[in-house]
Amino acid sequence: MTLFIQQLFNGLALGGVYCLAAIGLTLVFGVLRIPNLAHGSLYMLGAYITYFFLTTIGVPYIAAIGMAAIILFVLGVGLERLVFHPLRNSPHTHHMIAAVGAMFFFQALAQAIWGADFRRMDTPITGELRVLGAEISAQRIVIIITAVIVLALLAWFIKRSIHGQTIEAIEQDRIGASLVGINPSMVSMLTLGLSALLATIAAGLVAPINLLSPTMGDALNLKVFAIIILGGLGSLPGAILGGFVLAIAETMTATYVSSAFGDTVAFIVLVAVLAIKPNGLFTKAVQR
Amino acid sequence: MLTLDNVSTGYDATDVLHGVSITARAGELTVILGANGSGKTTLFRTISGLMRVRTGTIDYEGRKLHRARANAIVKSGIAHCPEGRHLFGKMSVEKNLRLGSYPHRNSSRTEEIYAEVLDLFPILKEKAKQPAGSLSGGQQQMVAIGRALMSDPSLLILDEPSMGLAPIVVEQVLESVAQINRNGIGVLLSEQNAKASLAIAHRGYVLAEGRIVLADDASRLLDNPDVQAAYLGL
Repeated sequence: MTLFIQQLFNGLALGGVYCLAAIGLTLVFGVLRIPNLAHGSLYMLGAYITYFFLTTIGVPYIAAIGMAAIILFVLGVGLERLVFHPLRNSPHTHHMIAAVGAMFFFQALAQAIWGADFRRMDTPITGELRVLGAEISAQRIVIIITAVIVLALLAWFIKRSIHGQTIEAIEQDRIGASLVGINPSMVSMLTLGLSALLATIAAGLVAPINLLSPTMGDALNLKVFAIIILGGLGSLPGAILGGFVLAIAETMTATYVSSAFGDTVAFIVLVAVLAIKPNGLFTKAVQR
Repeated sequence: MLTLDNVSTGYDATDVLHGVSITARAGELTVILGANGSGKTTLFRTISGLMRVRTGTIDYEGRKLHRARANAIVKSGIAHCPEGRHLFGKMSVEKNLRLGSYPHRNSSRTEEIYAEVLDLFPILKEKAKQPAGSLSGGQQQMVAIGRALMSDPSLLILDEPSMGLAPIVVEQVLESVAQINRNGIGVLLSEQNAKASLAIAHRGYVLAEGRIVLADDASRLLDNPDVQAAYLGL
Protein backbone atom coordinates (compact mmCIF):
# COMPACT_ATOMS: atom_id res chain seq x y z
CA MET A 1 0.00 0.00 0.00
CA THR A 2 2.83 2.39 0.88
CA LEU A 3 4.50 1.61 -2.42
CA PHE A 4 1.22 2.23 -4.24
CA ILE A 5 0.76 5.66 -2.61
CA GLN A 6 4.38 6.48 -3.31
CA GLN A 7 3.92 5.61 -6.99
CA LEU A 8 0.57 7.35 -7.20
CA PHE A 9 2.25 10.61 -6.19
CA ASN A 10 5.07 9.97 -8.63
CA GLY A 11 2.44 9.42 -11.31
CA LEU A 12 0.55 12.60 -10.38
CA ALA A 13 3.75 14.64 -10.50
CA LEU A 14 4.69 13.20 -13.87
CA GLY A 15 1.09 13.74 -15.01
CA GLY A 16 1.31 17.43 -14.07
CA VAL A 17 4.41 17.77 -16.23
CA TYR A 18 2.79 15.92 -19.14
CA CYS A 19 -0.35 18.05 -18.92
CA LEU A 20 1.50 21.33 -19.06
CA ALA A 21 3.51 20.16 -22.04
CA ALA A 22 0.55 18.56 -23.84
CA ILE A 23 -1.87 21.48 -23.42
CA GLY A 24 0.42 23.79 -25.36
CA LEU A 25 0.69 21.27 -28.17
CA THR A 26 -3.06 20.75 -28.35
CA LEU A 27 -3.71 24.53 -28.34
CA VAL A 28 -1.28 25.01 -31.21
CA PHE A 29 -2.96 22.20 -33.10
CA GLY A 30 -6.37 23.77 -32.50
CA VAL A 31 -5.36 27.23 -33.70
CA LEU A 32 -2.69 26.66 -36.35
CA ARG A 33 -3.97 23.22 -37.42
CA ILE A 34 -0.44 21.84 -37.44
CA PRO A 35 1.31 19.28 -35.26
CA ASN A 36 4.24 21.30 -33.92
CA LEU A 37 7.04 18.75 -34.06
CA ALA A 38 9.40 21.32 -32.54
CA HIS A 39 7.42 21.32 -29.28
CA GLY A 40 9.81 18.95 -27.49
CA SER A 41 12.77 21.11 -28.40
CA LEU A 42 11.04 24.18 -26.92
CA TYR A 43 10.63 22.13 -23.74
CA MET A 44 14.32 21.24 -23.86
CA LEU A 45 15.37 24.89 -24.34
CA GLY A 46 13.07 25.84 -21.47
CA ALA A 47 14.90 23.37 -19.22
CA TYR A 48 18.33 24.68 -20.22
CA ILE A 49 17.37 28.32 -19.79
CA THR A 50 15.91 27.57 -16.37
CA TYR A 51 19.20 25.78 -15.59
CA PHE A 52 21.11 28.84 -16.81
CA PHE A 53 19.22 31.23 -14.54
CA LEU A 54 19.32 28.89 -11.55
CA THR A 55 22.87 27.55 -11.72
CA THR A 56 24.86 30.09 -13.71
CA ILE A 57 23.19 33.33 -12.59
CA GLY A 58 21.96 32.11 -9.21
CA VAL A 59 18.33 33.26 -9.39
CA PRO A 60 15.90 31.52 -6.97
CA TYR A 61 14.25 28.41 -8.41
CA ILE A 62 10.68 29.61 -9.08
CA ALA A 63 11.95 32.96 -10.41
CA ALA A 64 14.33 31.09 -12.73
CA ILE A 65 11.42 29.12 -14.18
CA GLY A 66 9.41 32.32 -14.55
CA MET A 67 12.20 34.14 -16.38
CA ALA A 68 12.84 31.17 -18.66
CA ALA A 69 9.10 30.97 -19.38
CA ILE A 70 9.02 34.61 -20.46
CA ILE A 71 12.03 34.10 -22.74
CA LEU A 72 10.43 31.02 -24.29
CA PHE A 73 7.16 32.90 -24.78
CA VAL A 74 9.04 35.43 -26.90
CA LEU A 75 10.83 32.60 -28.72
CA GLY A 76 7.50 30.91 -29.44
CA VAL A 77 6.09 34.15 -30.86
CA GLY A 78 9.22 34.48 -33.00
CA LEU A 79 8.91 30.89 -34.21
CA GLU A 80 5.35 31.57 -35.37
CA ARG A 81 6.29 34.82 -37.08
CA LEU A 82 9.48 33.63 -38.78
CA VAL A 83 8.66 30.00 -39.59
CA PHE A 84 4.95 29.15 -39.50
CA HIS A 85 3.43 32.48 -40.57
CA PRO A 86 5.20 32.64 -43.96
CA LEU A 87 3.98 29.07 -44.60
CA ARG A 88 0.36 29.68 -43.58
CA ASN A 89 -1.00 29.08 -47.08
CA SER A 90 1.31 26.18 -47.92
CA PRO A 91 0.48 22.46 -47.80
CA HIS A 92 0.74 20.83 -44.38
CA THR A 93 3.87 18.88 -45.20
CA HIS A 94 5.77 22.18 -45.44
CA HIS A 95 4.86 23.03 -41.86
CA MET A 96 6.01 19.65 -40.65
CA ILE A 97 9.33 19.87 -42.47
CA ALA A 98 9.84 23.40 -41.14
CA ALA A 99 9.02 22.23 -37.61
CA VAL A 100 11.53 19.40 -37.84
CA GLY A 101 14.07 21.92 -39.12
CA ALA A 102 13.36 24.18 -36.12
CA MET A 103 13.74 21.16 -33.83
CA PHE A 104 17.21 20.33 -35.20
CA PHE A 105 18.18 23.98 -35.03
CA PHE A 106 17.22 24.26 -31.35
CA GLN A 107 19.02 21.00 -30.51
CA ALA A 108 22.19 22.16 -32.26
CA LEU A 109 21.93 25.51 -30.50
CA ALA A 110 21.67 23.86 -27.08
CA GLN A 111 24.56 21.56 -27.90
CA ALA A 112 26.72 24.50 -29.04
CA ILE A 113 26.05 26.45 -25.85
CA TRP A 114 25.87 23.74 -23.18
CA GLY A 115 27.57 20.74 -24.82
CA ALA A 116 26.21 17.28 -25.60
CA ASP A 117 26.86 15.84 -22.14
CA PHE A 118 24.11 15.29 -19.61
CA ARG A 119 23.80 18.00 -17.02
CA ARG A 120 22.30 17.76 -13.59
CA MET A 121 20.14 20.54 -12.20
CA ASP A 122 20.47 20.17 -8.45
CA THR A 123 17.22 19.92 -6.56
CA PRO A 124 16.75 23.29 -4.95
CA ILE A 125 13.84 21.96 -2.93
CA THR A 126 14.94 19.22 -0.61
CA GLY A 127 13.28 17.12 2.04
CA GLU A 128 10.38 14.75 2.03
CA LEU A 129 6.84 14.76 3.23
CA ARG A 130 5.10 11.85 4.88
CA VAL A 131 1.70 11.21 3.28
CA LEU A 132 -0.30 8.17 4.47
CA GLY A 133 2.89 6.41 5.42
CA ALA A 134 4.67 7.06 2.13
CA GLU A 135 7.70 9.33 1.77
CA ILE A 136 7.01 11.85 -0.99
CA SER A 137 9.82 14.16 -2.09
CA ALA A 138 9.02 17.84 -1.66
CA GLN A 139 9.97 18.45 -5.31
CA ARG A 140 7.11 16.22 -6.46
CA ILE A 141 4.67 18.01 -4.18
CA VAL A 142 5.85 21.31 -5.67
CA ILE A 143 5.31 19.94 -9.18
CA ILE A 144 1.75 18.83 -8.40
CA ILE A 145 0.78 22.10 -6.70
CA THR A 146 2.36 24.27 -9.39
CA ALA A 147 0.74 22.26 -12.18
CA VAL A 148 -2.70 22.62 -10.59
CA ILE A 149 -2.24 26.38 -10.12
CA VAL A 150 -1.00 26.90 -13.68
CA LEU A 151 -3.82 24.79 -15.14
CA ALA A 152 -6.39 26.78 -13.13
CA LEU A 153 -4.92 30.08 -14.34
CA LEU A 154 -4.90 28.81 -17.91
CA ALA A 155 -8.53 27.67 -17.69
CA TRP A 156 -9.47 31.11 -16.37
CA PHE A 157 -7.51 32.80 -19.16
CA ILE A 158 -9.11 30.80 -21.95
CA LYS A 159 -12.67 30.78 -20.65
CA ARG A 160 -12.95 34.23 -19.08
CA SER A 161 -10.46 36.68 -20.55
CA ILE A 162 -11.17 38.23 -23.94
CA HIS A 163 -7.73 37.32 -25.33
CA GLY A 164 -8.11 33.72 -24.21
CA GLN A 165 -11.56 33.55 -25.79
CA THR A 166 -10.07 34.55 -29.13
CA ILE A 167 -8.06 31.29 -29.01
CA GLU A 168 -11.23 29.26 -28.55
CA ALA A 169 -13.04 31.28 -31.21
CA ILE A 170 -10.32 30.60 -33.80
CA GLU A 171 -10.32 26.90 -32.88
CA GLN A 172 -14.08 26.61 -33.34
CA ASP A 173 -14.51 28.72 -36.47
CA ARG A 174 -11.72 30.59 -38.18
CA ILE A 175 -13.98 32.49 -40.60
CA GLY A 176 -16.44 33.42 -37.85
CA ALA A 177 -13.52 34.66 -35.75
CA SER A 178 -12.16 36.83 -38.58
CA LEU A 179 -15.62 38.32 -39.14
CA VAL A 180 -16.00 39.40 -35.51
CA GLY A 181 -12.71 41.26 -35.89
CA ILE A 182 -10.25 38.79 -34.38
CA ASN A 183 -6.84 38.87 -36.05
CA PRO A 184 -5.84 35.22 -36.67
CA SER A 185 -2.14 36.12 -36.96
CA MET A 186 -2.10 37.68 -33.51
CA VAL A 187 -3.88 34.67 -32.02
CA SER A 188 -1.42 32.28 -33.70
CA MET A 189 1.51 34.17 -32.17
CA LEU A 190 -0.14 34.27 -28.75
CA THR A 191 -0.87 30.54 -28.89
CA LEU A 192 2.63 29.48 -29.88
CA GLY A 193 4.10 31.77 -27.23
CA LEU A 194 1.77 30.31 -24.64
CA SER A 195 2.61 26.73 -25.64
CA ALA A 196 6.35 27.43 -25.27
CA LEU A 197 5.72 29.11 -21.91
CA LEU A 198 3.77 26.11 -20.60
CA ALA A 199 6.39 23.66 -21.88
CA THR A 200 9.06 25.66 -20.05
CA ILE A 201 7.15 25.50 -16.77
CA ALA A 202 6.86 21.72 -17.26
CA ALA A 203 10.55 21.41 -18.07
CA GLY A 204 11.69 23.62 -15.19
CA LEU A 205 9.58 21.62 -12.75
CA VAL A 206 10.81 18.21 -13.83
CA ALA A 207 14.44 19.15 -14.56
CA PRO A 208 15.66 18.56 -10.98
CA ILE A 209 14.36 14.97 -11.19
CA ASN A 210 15.64 14.18 -14.69
CA LEU A 211 18.91 14.99 -16.41
CA LEU A 212 19.30 17.70 -19.07
CA SER A 213 20.49 16.90 -22.56
CA PRO A 214 19.93 18.48 -25.99
CA THR A 215 17.79 15.50 -26.99
CA MET A 216 15.69 15.39 -23.79
CA GLY A 217 12.73 16.76 -25.75
CA ASP A 218 12.49 13.79 -28.12
CA ALA A 219 10.97 11.32 -25.67
CA LEU A 220 8.63 13.99 -24.34
CA ASN A 221 7.58 14.92 -27.88
CA LEU A 222 6.42 11.36 -28.55
CA LYS A 223 4.59 11.17 -25.24
CA VAL A 224 2.74 14.46 -25.58
CA PHE A 225 1.65 13.46 -29.08
CA ALA A 226 0.36 10.19 -27.58
CA ILE A 227 -1.49 12.22 -24.93
CA ILE A 228 -3.21 14.64 -27.28
CA ILE A 229 -4.25 11.83 -29.59
CA LEU A 230 -5.54 9.93 -26.56
CA GLY A 231 -7.47 12.99 -25.41
CA GLY A 232 -8.64 14.08 -28.84
CA LEU A 233 -6.66 16.61 -30.89
CA GLY A 234 -7.40 20.16 -29.82
CA SER A 235 -9.29 19.18 -26.66
CA LEU A 236 -8.09 20.84 -23.44
CA PRO A 237 -9.85 18.54 -20.92
CA GLY A 238 -8.69 15.63 -23.09
CA ALA A 239 -5.06 16.75 -22.79
CA ILE A 240 -5.36 17.09 -19.00
CA LEU A 241 -7.08 13.74 -18.52
CA GLY A 242 -4.81 12.06 -21.06
CA GLY A 243 -1.71 13.45 -19.34
CA PHE A 244 -2.63 12.03 -15.96
CA VAL A 245 -3.90 8.71 -17.34
CA LEU A 246 -0.71 8.14 -19.31
CA ALA A 247 1.60 9.19 -16.47
CA ILE A 248 -0.11 6.99 -13.91
CA ALA A 249 -0.24 4.04 -16.32
CA GLU A 250 3.45 4.53 -17.03
CA THR A 251 4.44 4.78 -13.36
CA MET A 252 2.35 1.81 -12.29
CA THR A 253 3.61 -0.38 -15.12
CA ALA A 254 7.19 0.50 -14.26
CA THR A 255 6.52 -0.41 -10.63
CA TYR A 256 4.43 -3.52 -10.89
CA VAL A 257 5.43 -5.02 -14.25
CA SER A 258 8.95 -4.00 -15.17
CA SER A 259 10.82 -0.73 -15.01
CA ALA A 260 11.95 -1.17 -18.61
CA PHE A 261 8.33 -1.51 -19.68
CA GLY A 262 7.14 1.85 -18.32
CA ASP A 263 8.05 3.97 -21.33
CA THR A 264 6.54 1.56 -23.81
CA VAL A 265 3.09 1.91 -22.21
CA ALA A 266 2.66 5.28 -23.91
CA PHE A 267 3.12 3.72 -27.32
CA ILE A 268 0.98 0.68 -26.65
CA VAL A 269 -1.78 3.06 -25.57
CA LEU A 270 -1.17 5.24 -28.64
CA VAL A 271 -1.32 2.36 -31.12
CA ALA A 272 -4.41 0.94 -29.42
CA VAL A 273 -6.23 4.30 -29.50
CA LEU A 274 -5.33 4.93 -33.13
CA ALA A 275 -6.54 1.46 -34.06
CA ILE A 276 -9.79 1.46 -32.07
CA LYS A 277 -10.90 5.07 -31.57
CA PRO A 278 -8.75 7.40 -33.68
CA ASN A 279 -10.69 10.54 -32.68
CA GLY A 280 -9.49 10.13 -29.12
CA LEU A 281 -11.03 8.48 -26.09
CA PHE A 282 -12.51 11.57 -24.48
CA THR A 283 -13.83 13.54 -27.43
CA LYS A 284 -17.46 12.59 -26.72
CA ALA A 285 -17.24 12.46 -22.95
CA VAL A 286 -15.65 15.83 -22.39
CA GLN A 287 -16.95 18.33 -24.90
CA ARG A 288 -15.87 21.87 -24.24
CA MET B 1 -22.28 54.58 -48.61
CA LEU B 2 -20.51 51.50 -49.94
CA THR B 3 -19.21 51.69 -53.48
CA LEU B 4 -17.63 48.87 -55.44
CA ASP B 5 -16.00 50.03 -58.64
CA ASN B 6 -15.15 47.46 -61.29
CA VAL B 7 -14.24 44.75 -58.76
CA SER B 8 -12.89 41.42 -59.98
CA THR B 9 -11.85 38.49 -57.85
CA GLY B 10 -11.79 34.71 -57.88
CA TYR B 11 -10.20 31.48 -56.77
CA ASP B 12 -6.90 30.24 -58.19
CA ALA B 13 -6.73 30.95 -61.91
CA THR B 14 -10.41 31.63 -62.55
CA ASP B 15 -12.24 34.87 -61.84
CA VAL B 16 -15.67 34.56 -60.25
CA LEU B 17 -16.55 38.25 -60.30
CA HIS B 18 -15.91 40.21 -63.49
CA GLY B 19 -15.83 43.99 -62.99
CA VAL B 20 -18.71 44.31 -60.55
CA SER B 21 -19.82 47.85 -59.67
CA ILE B 22 -22.52 48.36 -57.06
CA THR B 23 -23.55 51.01 -54.58
CA ALA B 24 -25.28 50.45 -51.26
CA ARG B 25 -26.55 53.80 -49.96
CA ALA B 26 -26.32 54.61 -46.28
CA GLY B 27 -29.32 53.39 -44.33
CA GLU B 28 -30.93 51.68 -47.33
CA LEU B 29 -31.71 48.01 -47.83
CA THR B 30 -30.02 46.78 -50.98
CA VAL B 31 -30.76 43.30 -52.26
CA ILE B 32 -28.59 41.18 -54.58
CA LEU B 33 -30.52 38.62 -56.61
CA GLY B 34 -28.95 35.81 -58.55
CA ALA B 35 -29.02 32.08 -59.12
CA ASN B 36 -26.81 29.69 -57.17
CA GLY B 37 -23.24 30.09 -58.34
CA SER B 38 -23.76 33.57 -59.76
CA GLY B 39 -21.18 34.98 -57.31
CA LYS B 40 -23.30 36.49 -54.51
CA THR B 41 -21.34 34.83 -51.71
CA THR B 42 -18.01 35.66 -53.38
CA LEU B 43 -19.14 39.28 -53.69
CA PHE B 44 -19.89 39.47 -49.96
CA ARG B 45 -16.70 37.66 -48.96
CA THR B 46 -14.76 40.17 -51.03
CA ILE B 47 -16.42 43.18 -49.39
CA SER B 48 -15.75 41.85 -45.88
CA GLY B 49 -12.11 41.04 -46.64
CA LEU B 50 -12.29 37.25 -46.52
CA MET B 51 -11.20 37.27 -50.16
CA ARG B 52 -8.66 39.46 -51.86
CA VAL B 53 -9.72 42.01 -54.49
CA ARG B 54 -7.78 41.38 -57.71
CA THR B 55 -8.68 44.57 -59.55
CA GLY B 56 -11.01 47.44 -58.80
CA THR B 57 -11.69 49.43 -55.65
CA ILE B 58 -14.01 49.28 -52.64
CA ASP B 59 -14.83 52.47 -50.81
CA TYR B 60 -16.85 52.79 -47.62
CA GLU B 61 -17.70 56.25 -46.35
CA GLY B 62 -14.55 57.66 -47.92
CA ARG B 63 -12.23 54.88 -46.75
CA LYS B 64 -10.56 52.52 -49.21
CA LEU B 65 -11.19 48.94 -48.09
CA HIS B 66 -10.02 46.78 -50.98
CA ARG B 67 -6.61 46.13 -49.39
CA ALA B 68 -7.85 45.84 -45.81
CA ARG B 69 -8.17 42.60 -43.82
CA ALA B 70 -11.42 41.23 -42.43
CA ASN B 71 -10.60 42.22 -38.85
CA ALA B 72 -9.97 45.82 -39.92
CA ILE B 73 -13.06 46.04 -42.12
CA VAL B 74 -15.44 45.07 -39.31
CA LYS B 75 -13.94 47.92 -37.26
CA SER B 76 -14.86 50.38 -40.00
CA GLY B 77 -18.54 49.54 -39.58
CA ILE B 78 -19.32 46.70 -42.01
CA ALA B 79 -20.53 43.49 -40.34
CA HIS B 80 -20.81 40.31 -42.41
CA CYS B 81 -23.23 37.59 -41.37
CA PRO B 82 -21.97 34.81 -43.64
CA GLU B 83 -23.64 31.98 -45.46
CA GLY B 84 -23.50 28.95 -43.18
CA ARG B 85 -23.46 31.29 -40.13
CA HIS B 86 -19.96 30.32 -38.88
CA LEU B 87 -20.97 30.44 -35.21
CA PHE B 88 -18.74 29.25 -32.37
CA GLY B 89 -20.81 26.11 -31.94
CA LYS B 90 -19.51 24.92 -28.57
CA MET B 91 -19.70 28.34 -26.92
CA SER B 92 -22.84 29.66 -25.27
CA VAL B 93 -25.17 31.96 -27.17
CA GLU B 94 -24.17 34.78 -24.86
CA LYS B 95 -20.44 34.28 -25.52
CA ASN B 96 -21.09 34.22 -29.27
CA LEU B 97 -22.94 37.52 -29.04
CA ARG B 98 -20.36 39.10 -26.76
CA LEU B 99 -17.49 38.09 -29.03
CA GLY B 100 -19.37 40.03 -31.71
CA SER B 101 -18.46 43.21 -29.83
CA TYR B 102 -14.74 42.33 -30.00
CA PRO B 103 -13.82 45.30 -32.25
CA HIS B 104 -15.23 47.75 -29.69
CA ARG B 105 -14.79 45.60 -26.59
CA ASN B 106 -14.14 48.52 -24.25
CA SER B 107 -17.02 50.60 -25.52
CA SER B 108 -19.77 51.60 -23.10
CA ARG B 109 -22.35 50.95 -25.83
CA THR B 110 -21.85 47.16 -25.68
CA GLU B 111 -24.47 46.52 -22.98
CA GLU B 112 -26.95 48.77 -24.79
CA ILE B 113 -26.52 46.89 -28.07
CA TYR B 114 -26.70 43.55 -26.26
CA ALA B 115 -30.08 44.59 -24.84
CA GLU B 116 -31.22 45.70 -28.32
CA VAL B 117 -30.26 42.35 -29.82
CA LEU B 118 -32.22 40.50 -27.13
CA ASP B 119 -35.19 42.79 -27.79
CA LEU B 120 -35.01 41.94 -31.47
CA PHE B 121 -34.71 38.18 -30.79
CA PRO B 122 -36.33 37.56 -27.38
CA ILE B 123 -35.93 33.77 -27.70
CA LEU B 124 -32.15 34.23 -27.33
CA LYS B 125 -32.69 35.47 -23.78
CA GLU B 126 -33.93 31.97 -22.81
CA LYS B 127 -31.15 30.25 -24.74
CA ALA B 128 -28.32 32.51 -23.53
CA LYS B 129 -26.49 29.80 -21.60
CA GLN B 130 -26.90 27.01 -24.21
CA PRO B 131 -24.19 26.10 -26.71
CA ALA B 132 -24.98 27.90 -29.98
CA GLY B 133 -24.59 24.63 -31.88
CA SER B 134 -27.49 23.05 -29.98
CA LEU B 135 -30.06 25.58 -31.25
CA SER B 136 -32.49 25.14 -34.17
CA GLY B 137 -31.52 26.53 -37.58
CA GLY B 138 -33.69 29.61 -37.23
CA GLN B 139 -32.38 30.36 -33.75
CA GLN B 140 -28.79 29.91 -34.93
CA GLN B 141 -29.50 32.41 -37.70
CA MET B 142 -30.72 34.86 -35.05
CA VAL B 143 -27.48 34.36 -33.10
CA ALA B 144 -25.48 34.97 -36.29
CA ILE B 145 -27.37 38.17 -37.09
CA GLY B 146 -27.17 39.23 -33.44
CA ARG B 147 -23.42 38.59 -33.34
CA ALA B 148 -22.97 40.75 -36.44
CA LEU B 149 -25.08 43.52 -34.88
CA MET B 150 -22.94 43.44 -31.73
CA SER B 151 -20.10 45.08 -33.67
CA ASP B 152 -22.31 48.20 -33.91
CA PRO B 153 -22.27 48.29 -37.72
CA SER B 154 -23.57 50.98 -40.04
CA LEU B 155 -23.87 48.35 -42.79
CA LEU B 156 -24.95 44.76 -42.22
CA ILE B 157 -24.22 42.17 -44.93
CA LEU B 158 -26.57 39.20 -44.80
CA ASP B 159 -25.81 36.24 -47.04
CA GLU B 160 -28.97 34.16 -47.56
CA PRO B 161 -30.18 34.40 -43.97
CA SER B 162 -33.25 32.27 -44.69
CA MET B 163 -31.41 29.40 -46.36
CA GLY B 164 -32.59 26.01 -45.15
CA LEU B 165 -35.21 27.42 -42.80
CA ALA B 166 -38.91 26.52 -42.58
CA PRO B 167 -41.25 28.98 -44.39
CA ILE B 168 -42.69 30.40 -41.18
CA VAL B 169 -39.19 31.02 -39.83
CA VAL B 170 -38.14 32.63 -43.11
CA GLU B 171 -40.92 35.17 -42.62
CA GLN B 172 -39.70 35.94 -39.07
CA VAL B 173 -36.10 36.34 -40.18
CA LEU B 174 -36.99 38.68 -43.05
CA GLU B 175 -39.24 40.69 -40.74
CA SER B 176 -36.32 41.15 -38.32
CA VAL B 177 -34.10 42.20 -41.25
CA ALA B 178 -36.66 44.87 -42.15
CA GLN B 179 -36.76 45.92 -38.49
CA ILE B 180 -32.96 46.26 -38.35
CA ASN B 181 -33.10 48.46 -41.45
CA ARG B 182 -35.90 50.60 -39.94
CA ASN B 183 -33.59 51.13 -36.94
CA GLY B 184 -31.24 52.93 -39.30
CA ILE B 185 -28.69 50.25 -40.19
CA GLY B 186 -27.93 49.83 -43.89
CA VAL B 187 -28.43 46.25 -45.12
CA LEU B 188 -26.91 44.44 -48.05
CA LEU B 189 -28.90 41.24 -48.51
CA SER B 190 -28.79 38.23 -50.78
CA GLU B 191 -31.84 36.07 -50.71
CA GLN B 192 -33.38 33.13 -52.55
CA ASN B 193 -36.80 34.50 -51.81
CA ALA B 194 -36.71 37.33 -54.38
CA LYS B 195 -40.28 38.51 -53.97
CA ALA B 196 -40.16 38.82 -50.19
CA SER B 197 -36.74 40.46 -50.21
CA LEU B 198 -37.63 43.00 -52.94
CA ALA B 199 -40.72 43.87 -50.91
CA ILE B 200 -38.58 45.15 -48.02
CA ALA B 201 -35.68 46.53 -50.15
CA HIS B 202 -35.00 49.99 -51.56
CA ARG B 203 -32.74 48.94 -54.42
CA GLY B 204 -31.77 45.72 -56.09
CA TYR B 205 -29.10 44.27 -58.33
CA VAL B 206 -29.25 41.12 -60.41
CA LEU B 207 -26.00 39.16 -60.59
CA ALA B 208 -25.47 36.54 -63.30
CA GLU B 209 -22.25 34.64 -63.89
CA GLY B 210 -20.25 37.17 -61.93
CA ARG B 211 -21.60 40.25 -63.71
CA ILE B 212 -24.25 42.80 -62.74
CA VAL B 213 -26.91 42.50 -65.43
CA LEU B 214 -29.63 44.66 -63.93
CA ALA B 215 -29.80 47.48 -61.38
CA ASP B 216 -32.91 49.36 -60.38
CA ASP B 217 -35.23 50.42 -57.59
CA ALA B 218 -36.69 47.42 -55.81
CA SER B 219 -40.29 48.27 -56.75
CA ARG B 220 -39.40 48.47 -60.45
CA LEU B 221 -37.45 45.21 -60.31
CA LEU B 222 -40.59 43.57 -58.91
CA ASP B 223 -42.48 44.70 -62.03
CA ASN B 224 -39.67 43.87 -64.45
CA PRO B 225 -40.78 40.99 -66.74
CA ASP B 226 -37.22 39.53 -66.96
CA VAL B 227 -36.90 39.44 -63.17
CA GLN B 228 -40.37 38.00 -62.84
CA ALA B 229 -39.54 35.24 -65.27
CA ALA B 230 -36.15 34.39 -63.79
CA TYR B 231 -36.59 34.87 -60.04
CA LEU B 232 -40.22 35.31 -59.14
CA GLY B 233 -41.59 32.26 -60.87
CA LEU B 234 -44.38 34.27 -62.51
